[in-house]
Amino acid sequence: MLEVKELSAGYGSRVIARGITFTVREGEILSMIGQNGSGKSTILKTLAGQLPPLSGEIRIGGVPVSSMKRNEFARQVSGLFTERPKTELMTCRDVVETGRYPYTGAFGLLGEADKRAVSEAMRLTETEELSSVSFGEISDGQKQRVMLARAVCREPKLLLLDEPTSFLDIHYKLTFLEMLDRLRRERKLAVVMSLHETELAAKISDTVLLLKNGECAGLGPPRSLLGTQALTAHFDLSPELWEKYYG
Amino acid sequence: MKQKNRIILSFALLILLALVFVFLGISAGSASISPGEMLRVFLGRSKDATAAAILFGLRVPRTLAALVLGGALALAGYMLQTYFHNPIAGPFVLGISSGARLTVALSLIAAEHGAILLNSAMLTGAAFIGALISMSAVLLLSSRVKNMSMLVVAGVMIGYICTAITDILVSFADDSDIVNLRGWSIGSFSGMKGEALSAAALVVGVSVFAVFLLSKPIGAYQLGESYAADAGVNVRAVRVAMILLSSLLSGCVAAFAGPVSFVGIAVPFLVKTLFGTAKPLVMVPACFLGGGVFCILADIIARTVVSPAELGISTVTAVLGAPVVLVIMMKRRRGDA
Repeated sequence: MLEVKELSAGYGSRVIARGITFTVREGEILSMIGQNGSGKSTILKTLAGQLPPLSGEIRIGGVPVSSMKRNEFARQVSGLFTERPKTELMTCRDVVETGRYPYTGAFGLLGEADKRAVSEAMRLTETEELSSVSFGEISDGQKQRVMLARAVCREPKLLLLDEPTSFLDIHYKLTFLEMLDRLRRERKLAVVMSLHETELAAKISDTVLLLKNGECAGLGPPRSLLGTQALTAHFDLSPELWEKYYG
Repeated sequence: MKQKNRIILSFALLILLALVFVFLGISAGSASISPGEMLRVFLGRSKDATAAAILFGLRVPRTLAALVLGGALALAGYMLQTYFHNPIAGPFVLGISSGARLTVALSLIAAEHGAILLNSAMLTGAAFIGALISMSAVLLLSSRVKNMSMLVVAGVMIGYICTAITDILVSFADDSDIVNLRGWSIGSFSGMKGEALSAAALVVGVSVFAVFLLSKPIGAYQLGESYAADAGVNVRAVRVAMILLSSLLSGCVAAFAGPVSFVGIAVPFLVKTLFGTAKPLVMVPACFLGGGVFCILADIIARTVVSPAELGISTVTAVLGAPVVLVIMMKRRRGDA
């Protein structure tokens, strides 16, 4: 589904990540694990088309992204980012509806198919009862679900998530990941996300990409990469410190 | 469904208000002309040449100017607020109007000295350039200060600098210039007749239409840059379009009416509150209408309370608009805006 080859990402002359290569198949989840500043967000922004790749190639369904039109690309990829959405006077349903943007006409009005996709996405994310509630009034956990509905209602092939569970309590963390797990199975979504919770990444991911200072420090199934030894080394921690809090 | 009804009702209310205020704007004035006489004048059946002269020469153009330029200001404000994601951004507080006034003053003085022959197009052009210069300064500062209140403070300072230079220019101008510049420099919708009014209406009309066509990408931009890009919006192009159009709109007002404060902040806020939405597809026409209504009202107050003298239009819009800005800031503190 998604093939990334020798990707370098960054801002203009500032290269933040380099030589990144991986593939994600339909229905698979790849988690990027690394310290703050290791390049996770930059890679996600590049995959999302917000930053042009500095070099290398990204293909979706075999087609190079560089050859796609903006709208064509947007229909296949959607994401959830760390920027807080500004949602003045918007209900949750209004927010979800913005996800249909690449499908709507010149004035952005939703057709019947769009409305169905929105309702379906809200059902999958259990946000239906929030439909007419103002987005500003709901909890962080609920917001994250609504933003997931926004991304999902586009019916993309690839879902990008930047630290989707970071500010959530345990209830919302686990239910969020459970929804994700269901989505990738039912909709055959390919998912690329950054995650700080290594123990959760180990459970949900098919592939883990360890990032250190913008370079790949390991790529493979979580079992081999998320063991105590590998993680203490990856996060520059002494085995004692790890043992004290995680052991 | 509920929201749809609210929008329809709000539009009906705004249109009604616009009609009422246009009528009041045309009726108000030191010479009293009865509604019957007004009707006869408009139907071309009146023999009262004075009444016709007052209506067509003064009140109608003035009221239309307030409608068009007020609408332009409100829309410019709405776009700047959207651009900066800041509800107290506006052409006046960000110094964009003042920048436009400075270049207009320069060209007016140059024209008085016969250096150039000035027409409405050139005046608008000068204002547009001035607005863009101020805007560039604000943008340059905004890339360095992430804090929204600091952005406004920076804008106010740029505004003060431009206003000070404009005042100096006006003070040093010849006596004959001052007659022209005084009225304009305190702000008024009275200076616009015939050709100037048509020129302003054309520029504003085209700009408003262009903004309306951009409703979809502007709506996506509202959510935030990363979400707009995610939806497939060319964020850079939308930002450039918003900057150019808001500069053109606020420049046009500065060129023809001089300084008009707070309309750009107060009206979008009031209109959003009335309609219960901030979506551009609704807000673009609604802000335009609302700005027009607001400015006709302000103009009526400006020319009636101290009649036969007149208040500067900005004096009135500040009295009406500044409290609204305070309300917005209080709401922000509570975190619901």
